[in-house]
Amino acid sequence: MKLTNSLVFRLRVLVLVVATLLLVGFTSHSIHAQFLHPKIKSKETTIRTVIVFPAKVNVVRDSMKGPEGMAAESDELSMRVEKMIAEVFSKKKNVTTLFPPSAASSQSDAQPNYNVADFQTKFDDLLPKIMKKRSDVKTGRFTMGDEVLNLNLEKTTDAIVFIRGEGKKLTGGKTAFTMLVGGMPAYLRLEIGIVDARTGEVLLYADPIFTGDPTKAVDRLRKALEKGLKKLPAAQPTP
Amino acid sequence: MFPQKPTSLIVSALCFYLVLTSISPLAIAQKKTAPVESTPPPIREEFKFGKIDLEVFEQSDLLDSKLERDGLVLHDESANAYLRRIGLSLVPKELSLERVAWNFRMLRDPQPNAFALPNGSIYVTTGLIFLVDNESQLAAIIAHEMTHVLRRHTYVQNRSNRKKFLTMNIMAAVGTFAPGGIVGAVITIVTAVAPFILMATVYGYSQDLEREADLKGVDMMISAEYSPEEMVNVMRLLDKDIEGENIRLFYNDHPSLEERIKYLSSYLGARADRVTQQMELNRERTAYFKTMEPVMRHNLQLSIMAGRFRSALFHAQRLVDFHPDSENLFWLAEAYRTLGPRSSQLTDKELTNSAKKDAAKKRVKRTLEEEEQDLLATPSGKDNWQTHQQKAEEFYLRALSAENPVPVIHRGLGMLYEKLGRANDAASEYGKYIELAPAAIDRERIKKRIEALRRT
Repeated sequence: MKLTNSLVFRLRVLVLVVATLLLVGFTSHSIHAQFLHPKIKSKETTIRTVIVFPAKVNVVRDSMKGPEGMAAESDELSMRVEKMIAEVFSKKKNVTTLFPPSAASSQSDAQPNYNVADFQTKFDDLLPKIMKKRSDVKTGRFTMGDEVLNLNLEKTTDAIVFIRGEGKKLTGGKTAFTMLVGGMPAYLRLEIGIVDARTGEVLLYADPIFTGDPTKAVDRLRKALEKGLKKLPAAQPTP
Repeated sequence: MFPQKPTSLIVSALCFYLVLTSISPLAIAQKKTAPVESTPPPIREEFKFGKIDLEVFEQSDLLDSKLERDGLVLHDESANAYLRRIGLSLVPKELSLERVAWNFRMLRDPQPNAFALPNGSIYVTTGLIFLVDNESQLAAIIAHEMTHVLRRHTYVQNRSNRKKFLTMNIMAAVGTFAPGGIVGAVITIVTAVAPFILMATVYGYSQDLEREADLKGVDMMISAEYSPEEMVNVMRLLDKDIEGENIRLFYNDHPSLEERIKYLSSYLGARADRVTQQMELNRERTAYFKTMEPVMRHNLQLSIMAGRFRSALFHAQRLVDFHPDSENLFWLAEAYRTLGPRSSQLTDKELTNSAKKDAAKKRVKRTLEEEEQDLLATPSGKDNWQTHQQKAEEFYLRALSAENPVPVIHRGLGMLYEKLGRANDAASEYGKYIELAPAAIDRERIKKRIEALRRT
């Protein structure tokens, strides 16, 4: 039987749709990479108490007319990630989580706010270098320097957790479009850095990623965080 | 002959649309050479808010609070009041715009920049505050940004971007569905290239809107008795590339500096002839530096933290020139110490576009410490290091004998001596610092350093 041009066209569409669906279906699990500093691996340093810095997770709504900001949803997601990471630390790693002093806007107490902001910026500067060669975390190459001591954290604090993330939520139209012609599905990618609160060394770097609506996939987020921190040794429970 | 099949017809129509949208940026660029004409005053409120615009407006409010919450807004009462006074003096009288409340804020960012949100929030970075020479130049920047708000540029640009994105998505579809053969291949290639062109116009405003902001900014400056020539002068300052980071891309959103100066000068014409006494006062450098000195010092600290050592040196020298016998000497010493083995100025070769691109790639690969180590392995790096450390010591010691010496000078000397391997001197200086500033925020850090030095 000789296939007409129109039939070839339709078959091509069908194959693409099936391939896209299969791809989305098979990649809906989270992918995660973790890199540990030798001090953590050799258990020279044990993390018992951490302080979680405000997460910076940004999601956009991707529609047929381009990406639109989701500032409120991003804030909500950032807080959810912070809380969830604290839960994972507590339940799976016996690690106590503290939060930095809440942000203030008045001039009299602006300095602590600046301090946290400056360290967040410092981590943002270091992050591209880590991402460029993540495996170098295993050689202890990355550090934020002893300036971390300027934060004057509680003496019991072992590490500081920095969280960054970016995600995309698709509108109905864009989802259909993606299924038809391919393209990036909805996803959330996190970058988690754990830094020694006394020396500034980067002790762990993990970048879990999962597909699905980042603003709704709560269970997937939890699983991604659990898997993302899987290699981090659990602290011994205090007697 | 016209294509007969409907699919071919659609593909041809989309090809035409694609070519049209690809050429449009070039058409905009062509307009730059058009003669400069006087424009109507910026007060014109014909804007009707749509659903999309209201979303952008909401996002702007959220962005305001996010910047505040994240500790990026600088709180300096007198500098903020000064900025507000400049901003409000530029607002056309009896103007009331729907959904605009003027707010003028400083961002703690050493990179010179300014932007406006459509809700009336104007942000100027501390890096920009430091770069300009007088109040009029700062007013020029604010007037430019205010025009973006007055003429609703953000909403206009957003609407335009959405159309471009729709085109981009359609192009992707065409690229996938196009039948085999030359048409499909061409579309596929252009689809891969076109987002680059389209995306380039997405960042920032279009050249037309930037040009409008420049020209209307001049009108606003004249109305508020700021010398309009300062708009041209500030353009020249903005082109100063101390860190070698201004990489010229294939398509820039802002018109080129030369082009801006050309059309601004042409627009100024006789407007620049009238110089009032107030205009002269607003051009005074001393008054501006006096008000902004604390902000400038804050920015020096931010520059050093961000590894912008050459900028720190350049600006610290300006501060010392303005007020020599003061804490500014400490900042100059800090700039020299942290500059380390780097050269104090980039050479012409280092300022070429390709060299800047290479340097940008290296910045992502190497940490600052690794960069220093690499430079110290070279003869010029060693020379620079020695010279800069000597200068740092000289300025620290001069700062100690200046009026009201600050305790941090001892910390700086301690760090310098520590790096030079003079452990005892370093520990002694650190000790003096802790003694003079017992409540210092970095007390713990310095104590740890003393302990480590005593162990060696």
